[in-house]
Amino acid sequence: MSANDILKSLHPLEVKVLLRYGSNDLIDTARIQEDLRFNLGQCNQAVSWLTAKEFLVEHERVHRTVYEITPLGEEFAQNGTPDERILAFVQEHGSATLPEIASALGLENRDVGSAFGSLSKEGVLAMDAEKRVTVASGTPSERMREVRGLLDEARGGKELAADRLSAVQNEAMAGISKKRGSAGSPFRLVERDEVTYRLTDAGIDAQESLKTAGVTGEEVGALTSRMLKDGSWRGAQFRAYNINIPPSRLVPGRRNPYCEYLDRVKDKLVSLGFEEFDGPIVETEFWNSDALFMPQFHSARDIHDVYYVKEPAHAREIEEPYLSQVAATHEDGWKTGSAGWNYGFDRDFTRRLILRSQGTVMSAKTLPKASIPGKYFGTLRCFRYDQVDATHLSDFYQTEGIVLGESVNLRTLLGFLQMFAEELAGATEVKYVPGYFPFTEPSVEVHIKHPVLGWFELGGSGIFRPEVTEPLGIKVPVLAWGLGIDRMALMNLGLDDLRELFSTNIENVRLRRGN
Amino acid sequence: MPKIELSQEALFSYLQARMDDVELEKLLTVAKAELDEPVNEEGIVKIELNDTNRPDLWSTAGLARQLRLHRGAPMPDYGFVSRPGEAVDTGTRRVIVDAGLQEVRPFIAAFAVTGTAIDEALLNDLIQTQEKLCWNYGRKRRSIAMGVYRSDLMKYPVRYVAADPDATRFVPLGLTEELSMRDMLSKHPKGQEFGHIVADAPVFPLLTDDRGDVLSFPPIINSARIGAVEVGDSNLFIEMTGTDMPSLLHACSIVACDLADAGYTILPVTIEYPYDTSLGREVVTPCYFQTPVSTTVPYIEKLLGRAIAGDELAVGLRRMGVTTTITGTDVTIEPPPYRNDFLHPVDVVEDAMIGLGMESFPPEVPSDFTVGRLAPAELFGRRVKSILVGLGYQEMIFNYLGSRRDFIERVYPESAWDAQHAAHVQVANPMSENFEFVRASILPHLLIAESGSANAVYPHLVFEVGKVVRRDASDNYGSLTRNSLGMLGADAEAGFTLINSHISALFYYLGRDYTLRESGDARFIPGRCAEIVVDGKVAGWFGEVHPETLEKFGIQVPVCAGEIDLDTIQGV
Repeated sequence: MSANDILKSLHPLEVKVLLRYGSNDLIDTARIQEDLRFNLGQCNQAVSWLTAKEFLVEHERVHRTVYEITPLGEEFAQNGTPDERILAFVQEHGSATLPEIASALGLENRDVGSAFGSLSKEGVLAMDAEKRVTVASGTPSERMREVRGLLDEARGGKELAADRLSAVQNEAMAGISKKRGSAGSPFRLVERDEVTYRLTDAGIDAQESLKTAGVTGEEVGALTSRMLKDGSWRGAQFRAYNINIPPSRLVPGRRNPYCEYLDRVKDKLVSLGFEEFDGPIVETEFWNSDALFMPQFHSARDIHDVYYVKEPAHAREIEEPYLSQVAATHEDGWKTGSAGWNYGFDRDFTRRLILRSQGTVMSAKTLPKASIPGKYFGTLRCFRYDQVDATHLSDFYQTEGIVLGESVNLRTLLGFLQMFAEELAGATEVKYVPGYFPFTEPSVEVHIKHPVLGWFELGGSGIFRPEVTEPLGIKVPVLAWGLGIDRMALMNLGLDDLRELFSTNIENVRLRRGN
Repeated sequence: MPKIELSQEALFSYLQARMDDVELEKLLTVAKAELDEPVNEEGIVKIELNDTNRPDLWSTAGLARQLRLHRGAPMPDYGFVSRPGEAVDTGTRRVIVDAGLQEVRPFIAAFAVTGTAIDEALLNDLIQTQEKLCWNYGRKRRSIAMGVYRSDLMKYPVRYVAADPDATRFVPLGLTEELSMRDMLSKHPKGQEFGHIVADAPVFPLLTDDRGDVLSFPPIINSARIGAVEVGDSNLFIEMTGTDMPSLLHACSIVACDLADAGYTILPVTIEYPYDTSLGREVVTPCYFQTPVSTTVPYIEKLLGRAIAGDELAVGLRRMGVTTTITGTDVTIEPPPYRNDFLHPVDVVEDAMIGLGMESFPPEVPSDFTVGRLAPAELFGRRVKSILVGLGYQEMIFNYLGSRRDFIERVYPESAWDAQHAAHVQVANPMSENFEFVRASILPHLLIAESGSANAVYPHLVFEVGKVVRRDASDNYGSLTRNSLGMLGADAEAGFTLINSHISALFYYLGRDYTLRESGDARFIPGRCAEIVVDGKVAGWFGEVHPETLEKFGIQVPVCAGEIDLDTIQGV
């Protein structure tokens, strides 16, 4: 820390102590309290802070035993000790039994008994044959006089130092003081160290710096509304703060970084001219697979690849003429120029309700109402029959889209893929390889090079088969593409477990940085 | 998608070339194949094949053939594949089919091979081909089952008969004692695995030679003698039975071409049917059954996006094994005997793309102008999110599948479980009970998040804008997917007052009017739950979560929560 930083780190209490004393002064808390009108708490704070900064150093430490008067002691000083009161009572009212005395003075029998014991031994009082207390010498004993002297001296909260008392006083004090649990004793015995301090060389330097800077410790801490109203800020000196003290943590309201990433992808696609589509999570086999020309016996359509809805199991109906046209295309190619799959299309199975397993569902459903030229996309929650682990989720997002146009072709498809690679993934190296998807022909996979992880598949794409487009009323070529958006998000967020994207841990989500 | 294991040496030998992994990976793309695991200590490489319509690629010989052709090698002569009706003398090599099989397993294809003694690598390859073909392409032996036999032990003609399941007995491969065919279904491992294919038939398919010695019980198991092929055998009989003639003939040609590439002589077999088939009553196999596909050069050029000269097209398609005839702009292609994936002219277009090479199609910047738009629900959701963030909420995002316990039992008192179960979409075939229900509300996930986040600095304010699905008998699908906002506050001070203020601020900034109605929702403390009514419709609710619900989630701070159907307040 520079000298300047040190000065800024000083509290006004410290500043005042530093400025008040010279290098030869011996300083203790009592002196500071008196000189600077600090209370004991302020005094202790200033001393401990300055010591920690090594501006003050301990000069001497003296062990002291002192007696503090207790509330009971103050009461004795005011109203008399039990000994004094018993003596006075007997002198005034004549002889009486111990219980009579106790009752009359409002004292415990036990206390009166023990007081009488001492007074009798010292020859002040005596007991007659009828067990009544009578006056003997009638003069207070030396012990009583000493106790009275101590009480009078200490009265009003003064401490009595053991080394300032005479031997006789100390002896008297031993009978009326206790170390702890002072209830019942007029004095409390306290043992403590009394420390004196002096300024160190660094403290003197700091003092010089304070003087040079004109810091007095009287600077203003907070600017108040009152100061602004009455203009008193004009003459005020503002205390400089130490700007390097760590701030406290705030927990702000905040977007989820994964959702923000998805939003950025959507915004990017919109900027490229794509219109967003959306649809239901529960779908039919018809739209999920049949409309995509996946034969009903296709291995990817096994019971163990799709989640089936229990109730109701089937949709009431599938939209015509799409149902008939798709069925005919599966059976014999319909009017599409295809040979078809040559099997009997199952019109009950096609109504089977499932949780959509691929975003391409919505691409197909969008076709009947699409504009030409047209570009559409959706970021859709999809469901797969998978064991959940770091690379598989039972539900996850896919970003899918289509491009319709009289003049779109393989090269425009590659143009889009290049645009996605550059604009969405920030890739500089891109390669295209032939791919396979049941609903596109030709099919192309796009791979990009990640600076750390190397080549990976950004997504799949192709030109929808005429067996997909024509039964849905589309005569022009349709480019179709899908991106593994969850994997891209993992890379963007620097995570390596897909489950983290959907974390239910509030603290994890709060701490996660976006990108 | 099938994965195959093959000997790298065998692959290089078929390829007539050696190469490193990088070059191999690049070359594999023309077969839509990926190097799954590079060569290991035993010299084995693992390759994943992505095209489910190209079973010819699922063997060492078949994959190597496609790679070799793409590198410019000539097409091998597969003269043993005859055309339907072509006169071929197969001598005594005949299979005579029994009329009783027409309803059970009607079709068979077969051929014999002869050559050098078969070695272990080739035998393994043959077994792998059989497995992949019959499992992935033959729908787990239902439409294709394949058997390989020692032809030296057989006497032609082979008889494909409908046998009595109980009276017919033989020793199956892998066992030492005779069993009835019916007993094999329960006692032989293959019977247990595939028995269901024929179990209900009145008669079972059986292959015997002319003396009645059993070859096999298709599609279940070979016999222990003729059906036990070993390393060193050099004369084999290979057959396939099934329910679909084209895929059967296809698989037959694939295996025959593979063995021809391995250096064996293929000897065709005549099949005699007592009933009509698409190729008549007498079929010689391997047989070329594919039909030519016609298209035009302009069609191919339009989809690929550039001009392609006739010669260039023919050369490109030849690299894919396809024979091309070009007359003017008319193009007719004939697939090779081992391929049956040309359903439509677009399939020719893709082969042209791969044959010509991806690098010959430079990307082109799209030129059609279209207007981009976010969906209305997305735009509205973003307005809601920004207000919630301003109110101090952390956005969360959750999975949509969960358990009955989390979605229903922990949230509601037991008296409401049946009704709530009926309101949820349930998965009929869940992988586990943890993913058995689609959420109908966001609240359970917010409570799950709260229950696991006692370590996070309070107060907690969290929300999600996402989908929920609720059963709805009036809908064609029996359910509706809705856009929903769920919000939750947890803190010593969290209560009705807090969430009430937040709802009020939200509606103010959304510019929507609403009224409140007291609600008896059992998830909340009675008298501290309100329904939000917008235009006479209930659009949501909010309140102080009932301590019984909190206890079931193990939450030890007061929680207030609310949920709003965004589609309702947006007016969709």
